[in-house]
Amino acid sequence: MGSPTSLIERLNRGVTRRNARWSFVNAQRFGVALELRRFRLGNGLTVVSLVDRSAPTISYHTWFRVGSRHERPGKTGLAHLFEHLMFNETKRRGRGEFDRLMERAGAEVNAATWTDWTYYYENAPKNALALVIELEADRMSNLVLRAPQVRSEKEVVANERKLRVEDDIEGRALEELYATAFRRHPYRWPTIGWMKDIRGFTVEDCRRFYRTHYAPNNATVIIAGDFDERQALSKIQERYGRLSPARPIDPGPHSKEPLQRRERVLRIAAPTPTDKVLIGYRAPSFANPHTPALSVANELLFGGRSARVHRLLCLDEELALSVRGAISPFVDPGLFEIWISLREGKRRRDAIALLDKEVRRLAAEGPTDLELEKAINQIELSFLHSMETAGGKAEQVGFYETVVDDGGTPFDRLNAYRRVTPTQVKRAVAKYLRPSRRSRVEISGIAA
Amino acid sequence: MRKSIKPKILVESSDVLPLVDVEIAFRVGSLQDPIGKEGIAQLTGQLMRRGPSGISADGFEERLANLGARLTVDAAMRSTRIRATTLRRNLEPVLELVADLIWQPALRARDFAKLKRHAQASLLARLDDDQTLGAVHLRQRLFAGHPYGRSSSGSSASLRRIRLQDAKRFYARYLQKEPFIVGMSGDISDSEAKSLVRAHFPAPPRKMNGKRDVPATHIRRGRHVIVVDKPERTQTQLYIGTLGARTHDRNLFPLIVSNTAFGGTFTGPLMQEVRAVRGWSYGAYSRLMHSDQRDAWYMWTAPSAEYSADCAALQLELLDRWVDKGLPQASVKFAQQYLINSHCFDRDTPSKRLESRIDIELLGVPRRYVERHDELVADVTPKQAKEATKARISPGDLVIVVVATAKDVEDAFAKLPGVKSVEVVPYRQP
Repeated sequence: MGSPTSLIERLNRGVTRRNARWSFVNAQRFGVALELRRFRLGNGLTVVSLVDRSAPTISYHTWFRVGSRHERPGKTGLAHLFEHLMFNETKRRGRGEFDRLMERAGAEVNAATWTDWTYYYENAPKNALALVIELEADRMSNLVLRAPQVRSEKEVVANERKLRVEDDIEGRALEELYATAFRRHPYRWPTIGWMKDIRGFTVEDCRRFYRTHYAPNNATVIIAGDFDERQALSKIQERYGRLSPARPIDPGPHSKEPLQRRERVLRIAAPTPTDKVLIGYRAPSFANPHTPALSVANELLFGGRSARVHRLLCLDEELALSVRGAISPFVDPGLFEIWISLREGKRRRDAIALLDKEVRRLAAEGPTDLELEKAINQIELSFLHSMETAGGKAEQVGFYETVVDDGGTPFDRLNAYRRVTPTQVKRAVAKYLRPSRRSRVEISGIAA
Repeated sequence: MRKSIKPKILVESSDVLPLVDVEIAFRVGSLQDPIGKEGIAQLTGQLMRRGPSGISADGFEERLANLGARLTVDAAMRSTRIRATTLRRNLEPVLELVADLIWQPALRARDFAKLKRHAQASLLARLDDDQTLGAVHLRQRLFAGHPYGRSSSGSSASLRRIRLQDAKRFYARYLQKEPFIVGMSGDISDSEAKSLVRAHFPAPPRKMNGKRDVPATHIRRGRHVIVVDKPERTQTQLYIGTLGARTHDRNLFPLIVSNTAFGGTFTGPLMQEVRAVRGWSYGAYSRLMHSDQRDAWYMWTAPSAEYSADCAALQLELLDRWVDKGLPQASVKFAQQYLINSHCFDRDTPSKRLESRIDIELLGVPRRYVERHDELVADVTPKQAKEATKARISPGDLVIVVVATAKDVEDAFAKLPGVKSVEVVPYRQP
C-alpha cells in the first residue's frame, strides 16, 4: 500500500465540499502482518481500513455511538428497535430492497445493539464492496420512517423479547440482575427495552432518535479484508461526503452509581427442572487498568474444564451442571457475572458457599505462575480465534474504536493480559469480588 | 500399542494466525448405538475425552490448558470428531496428547460414573431450551422407529442401561480398530503436517470402509400435531416438517435452490410473509437436510401464543402454494445468485476448507458438490426446481410440533387444515 498522506492528497484533489475532504489520522501495526489506517472525512465520519488478503471477502462494519444507555425511562429499547428499522425503506430504495440487493450479492447482513453502541455489518464477497458502501451511506441519512414499518417492527421486537427474555430463564435472570444491581445508571434497563415501552413507541420517537444519533460524526466505519484502499476511500468520499454532521450529542448528566454496601438478593420462580443462580459483582469499566487482571481471574475461575470453580462445582462436588463467568465490556463500570446451573436436588447455598471459598482463596493466595500462564494461554487462544475471519477482525476493531476510542489496541490488550502478575490478580479479586458488592438472582423451579 | 491402521491426512495451510486446528474423524456415530442403549457413542467419546492412561483426568485437563489448547469430542449421527485447537508453538505436545487419547484412552470406571451423571443432568437441562425441545420432538416423530429419530444424547432410560463394559466394547469395535482421517489446518505446511501425523500415527495402510447401511426412512401419512406442553409460555416454538432429501438424490441441487428461494433467505416468501409483513416471528426459515437416506425438511418460526395457530395456517398455505405452483423464475434466479455469491463464506478459513474435505472422505459427500458447487447451482432451471420440490416435499404428510402451554393453543391447532391427530405431551416426557 502507498503512503496514506499522498493517497488523501490525490483523493482531495478538486474536492471543495468540506464534508467530503479526507484527512489522515494515523496508522498502527495490527498484529504481526497487518496495518490499520485511520482516516476522517470533513463531516466527522471516521474510517478504519485493515487490508488483509487471506480470503476473497470483505467485512464492512458501521458502529454508532448509541446504545440503550442513551435512552430514558419510558423510552427504553429504542436503540434496539432502531436496529430493526434500519433495514426498511429509504428515500432512494423501496422496502426490502436493501436485503434483496445484499443477499443477491452474497452478503451476510446483520446488526447488534448493546448498552454503549449499535453496529451494522456486511460480510460480503470482495466484489460487493461498492454496493455495500452505497447502501450503507444511503440508510445513514435517507431512512424513511412510516407507521406500518414501525408497527410491524415493534411486533417483531415484542416477539424477540418473548423469545429471549420472557420465555428464556437466563435472559429473564440477566434482566432482573441488572435491574437489581443498578439503581441510577441506565445500565439498569434492558437493551431490548421493557415490553410496555416497546409497545408505546411512536413514529415521531423514531424520527427524533434517527436525527439525533444517525450521522457521520457519530459513526465509525471499519473495512477489513481483501479490498483496494484507494477505491474504497474514493467510493466512501463520493457517497458519505454528501452527508452533513449532526449537532454534537449532549451526553446528559453522568449517572454515577452509588457505592453498593450490601448484597442484594432477588428470588424468582420459573418452570425449570433445576435451580439456577446468577450473581453480579460490581466490576470496573472495560478501559479500567484493573480489568485485565480481573479478566485473568475470570479465566482462572471459570475458563474451561480445568478452571477452579468449574472443577470444584461441576466435576469434584457435582453440584452444578455448568458455571460461567464474564465481565461486561462496558464504557462505564458494569458487572462481573457468574451463572451457575445446579444439578437436580442440589442446593444453591452449597454452591455459593463453595464459590465464596474459592474466591477468598484466590484473593488470599493468588494463582501460581503455572496457573497464570495457563489462563493467559487460554485468553490468547480465544483472542486469536476471534481474529480468524475478516468479520472477526472488523468486529474487534469496531468495538475497541467505540469503547476505548482506539481500534488499534486489541493486540495491546493481549499484551496487557500477558503482563498481569499473580499479585495483580489477588488485588483485583480482593477489591471487586466481595459479597457485599454483589447482587444475586436465585431461580427455583416450579412444578410442571 | 500402535494399531495397524494408517489414517488419511488432509491439510489446509494458512500462516495468517499462529493457530492450528487438528481433527481426527471416525465414521461412527449414534447410528451405531444399539437399540435400548442410545447415547453410547456420545458417552464413549466423552469418556475418551477424559484422557489417556497414565495421567489422571484432572492432570490431562491441566496439561491441555497449560498448552493453550482446547479439545472437544463430538459424536453426531454419522461421525465422531475429535477436535483440538492449539497455539502453533505447542502443536507437537498437543498432538502427542491427542494421539495417546486415541490409542490408549484410560476409560476409567470413576470417570464413567461421573459422565453418566453429567449426561443425565444435561438431558434435564435441555428442558430449559424450548427451541431444542421442539427440534428433538420433531425428529422423534418424523423418524419414529428409525435410527434418524434417535437423539445422540440418548434418553434417561437408555443412559441408565449403559455400563462401562458397553463403552469399552464400543471403543474396541468402532474406534480402536477402524481407520480414521486426520486433518490439520492453520499455521502448518503440508509436509510438516504429514511428518507429524506419521510420527504419531505410524502404521501400514488400510482402506476406509464403504458407507454403512441405514434402512430407508418412511413418511407418515397425514398431518399430525404434537403439542409439547410447557407452563407459562407467552411465545411458542413451531416446527412443521416432513421428509427431505438423500445426499445422492439426482435432484438435490434443484431442491436446494428451491428451498433457498422459499425459506433460505431473509427476502424469501416465508420470512417476508411471517416477519416483514405481519411481524409474527423474530425468525422464519426452512431447512433442507440430506443424508444417506431421506433426512428432514422443516420450517421454523417462533410466534406469540396468541397467533401461533394463525402463523401455522399461513405457513401451510405458503407451503401448499410453493409445492403446487413453484416459485417465479426471478426468485429461483435470485436464490442461485445468493448461493453462488455467498459460497466464499463456506471456505474463508482453513478450518472450513478442511471440514468440507473431511465431509467428502467421511460422509461420502460427492466431491463435485464441493468442487463444482457454483456450476451445479447455476445449472438448475426453474422447471427442475419446481419438479424437485413436488417430488420431494409432501405438504399433506407433516409433523407439526408446537412447544407451548397446551391450553392456549390445542384447539386452534386441531382446526388447522388436514390435521388428522393432535397429541399433547408434557415437556418433561422423554
